[in-house]
Amino acid sequence: MPQVKIIARNFMDMVAALPAMKLDQLYQNAFICEAILRSLPPLAKKYVIQMLYIEEAVTTKSIEEWVLPDGLSKHKVAIDRLLQLRIFSEAFDRSSGTSYRLNPTFQSNLQKHITCGGVLPREPMPSSITARLPSLEDLAVFAFALEQWECFLLQLINSTQAEKMTNISPSMMRIFQRGLLTQRDKEPPRLTESGFQFLLMDTNAQLWYIIREYISNSEERDVDSADLISFLLELSFHATGEAYNMNTLTEVQRNTLKDLADLGLVKLQQGRKESWFIPTKLTTNLSVSLTDSSSRKEGFVVVETNFRIYAYSTSKLHCEILRLFSRIEYQLPNLIVGAITKESLYNAFDNGITADQIISFLQQNAHPRVAERVPSVPENVTDQIRLWESDLNRVEMTPAHFYDEFPTRDVFEAACDFAREYGGLLWEDSKKMRLVVKTDVHMHMREHLRRQRQ
Amino acid sequence: MASAPSKLYADDVSLLVVLLDANPFFWSASSLPFSKFISHVISFLNSVLLLNQLNQIVVIATGHNCCDYVYDSSSPASRSAGTGKLSALSVDLLEKLEEFVCRDEKLLKKEPEGSIASSLLSGSLSMALCYIQRVFRSGPRHPHPRILCLHGSQDGPEQYVAIMNAIFSAQRSMVPIDSCFIGAQNSAFLQQASYITGGVYLKPQLLEGTFQYLSTVFGTDLHSRGFLQLPKSVGVDFRASCFCHKKTIDMGYICSVCLSIFCKHHKKCSTCGSVFGQPHSEAASEPNKKRKAGDT
Repeated sequence: MPQVKIIARNFMDMVAALPAMKLDQLYQNAFICEAILRSLPPLAKKYVIQMLYIEEAVTTKSIEEWVLPDGLSKHKVAIDRLLQLRIFSEAFDRSSGTSYRLNPTFQSNLQKHITCGGVLPREPMPSSITARLPSLEDLAVFAFALEQWECFLLQLINSTQAEKMTNISPSMMRIFQRGLLTQRDKEPPRLTESGFQFLLMDTNAQLWYIIREYISNSEERDVDSADLISFLLELSFHATGEAYNMNTLTEVQRNTLKDLADLGLVKLQQGRKESWFIPTKLTTNLSVSLTDSSSRKEGFVVVETNFRIYAYSTSKLHCEILRLFSRIEYQLPNLIVGAITKESLYNAFDNGITADQIISFLQQNAHPRVAERVPSVPENVTDQIRLWESDLNRVEMTPAHFYDEFPTRDVFEAACDFAREYGGLLWEDSKKMRLVVKTDVHMHMREHLRRQRQ
Repeated sequence: MASAPSKLYADDVSLLVVLLDANPFFWSASSLPFSKFISHVISFLNSVLLLNQLNQIVVIATGHNCCDYVYDSSSPASRSAGTGKLSALSVDLLEKLEEFVCRDEKLLKKEPEGSIASSLLSGSLSMALCYIQRVFRSGPRHPHPRILCLHGSQDGPEQYVAIMNAIFSAQRSMVPIDSCFIGAQNSAFLQQASYITGGVYLKPQLLEGTFQYLSTVFGTDLHSRGFLQLPKSVGVDFRASCFCHKKTIDMGYICSVCLSIFCKHHKKCSTCGSVFGQPHSEAASEPNKKRKAGDT
């Protein structure tokens, strides 16, 4: 079965794909420099800070000396990333070889940021005004964000379980659903393999996917993607739970905020004269790099050695996700009880979900009570899931050609050797002089046999 | 003694506890003015906070008579935005540091004799380790802690026992202790600390470039350290100080029950109370007979 994977591509890949001029323009904003710095791999971050106050170019050899021999692969990844994002610029000199230098705008912005700190372009609202409306404390803001996000996801997968519809326009929804749902005529839309994998990703990865789709679509709506990216990155530096005035925003930014409110990233509120927005936890997560693999939220799933799942959650979304690979038995007011069975797993595998995704979902969302146990999901369950998956992969297929009826043994032996040289010999039967050769070697084999005949 | 095994970390979130030497006797005689030093340190701390949203910094000031917390980035009282000329961290840190120095001065009882005016490193190390213990107990998801000593004052031999105890408990909890020593001669205590706990000891040669030293050597999180070339320790001074006079000694007498070190022969161990036998001459290598407390 072909393995399809949607890679939750980091937002920064999108940024790196922008044309050089736009990227340089982006770097004029100090917060964007900060956000991009945070998204780099750890070694790259270190290089940037180390080169922060160095004006001249540093030779590649010197930089390689900073790393131990077994870190060279990471070093290469870091340097490639820095070059891709145009943070490092390369220069070639005949005497000293290649050398690297930090992008000057990036450098000066970061220097200023370190010594003077950063000031957001928008002021927080005085509490005298915000106090008139029911104030949203941290927990309430978080609950709001979660509710909106779940509602959005349920609507995305077209579930009938969604209680209320969000305000996102149908065309926008279709853009998000592109790639995740397929629609055949006269049938209700079904989730694709990518759709299933999307559901099992953690919230950060899902958020990035949606934002990426939103931005790639922005060009069609006449919104400059670079502006949008810089606004989103700036937003991620606002403090959660604090109200910020909307008077400094442009029209485009206001529209963006409305869309983001539907997704649960900000909450819009209106006072008597002014309106303001409150960023939620999802917004500040925008600048958390995807290299930070540990998701720091509370888990809710307990998996027991008898293959039963107990999920302490009231969310319909969680129920849908668990339904993907387990058989849900009871749904109690605060508990979902299910069991992992062979049928339910075969169902999941048919839909394109891999065993690794299921296991990593269970591990990442393990209830705090079992999370500290090593391993958080019992080994017999993980082993069995993998075994059931490999059950479906018992047969491996390679396209090949079958050769029969060789005139003499010598020709047969010569053909065998020839195939072996090219690494294409799959099977031979010397007694009956039969040969199976990989398809890519087939053409060469034909040439060879023709030459043999002459 | 082998250095500590270190935990394997998966991500690069770090909790940096900085022990800042605020000993007025040292700084009044130092070639680098305190104000310049603090500006380097603040830039360094800002750069650490910049690298990861979840990084945390705690600064403990080590004075002559007392130690106290002067900055905690995770406390709700710390500001979220700066004033434009100074970062949020600077404003908070400098305010608290001023208050601390005034308090420290008030506690001064008499001028120290001689030139050794040591700061209370043992106190601040213990405070750092207590804070880190609290972080460990806060749950399975916590940033990875390490201690950085920015120290310049000379070692006070009277603090030997307390500092060694702190070092061993750091080794047990697998918390590396890094030191950046800005004084004149090397500090034996800090060298031992870095060696035993698996941290890095550095004595920068050009003090005007302190920020560069800090960011190059001490800025990386524990996960990436496995891949970087860091300064190795050369010639650690393992000399101990005796428990009775607090002098640094090379050879001495050791109680076989509690391993306390004495420079002269005593009748009884002052730590555990064991009674010692007759001293043998130094030429003989027979072990002294020690009997448990209670026998005469």
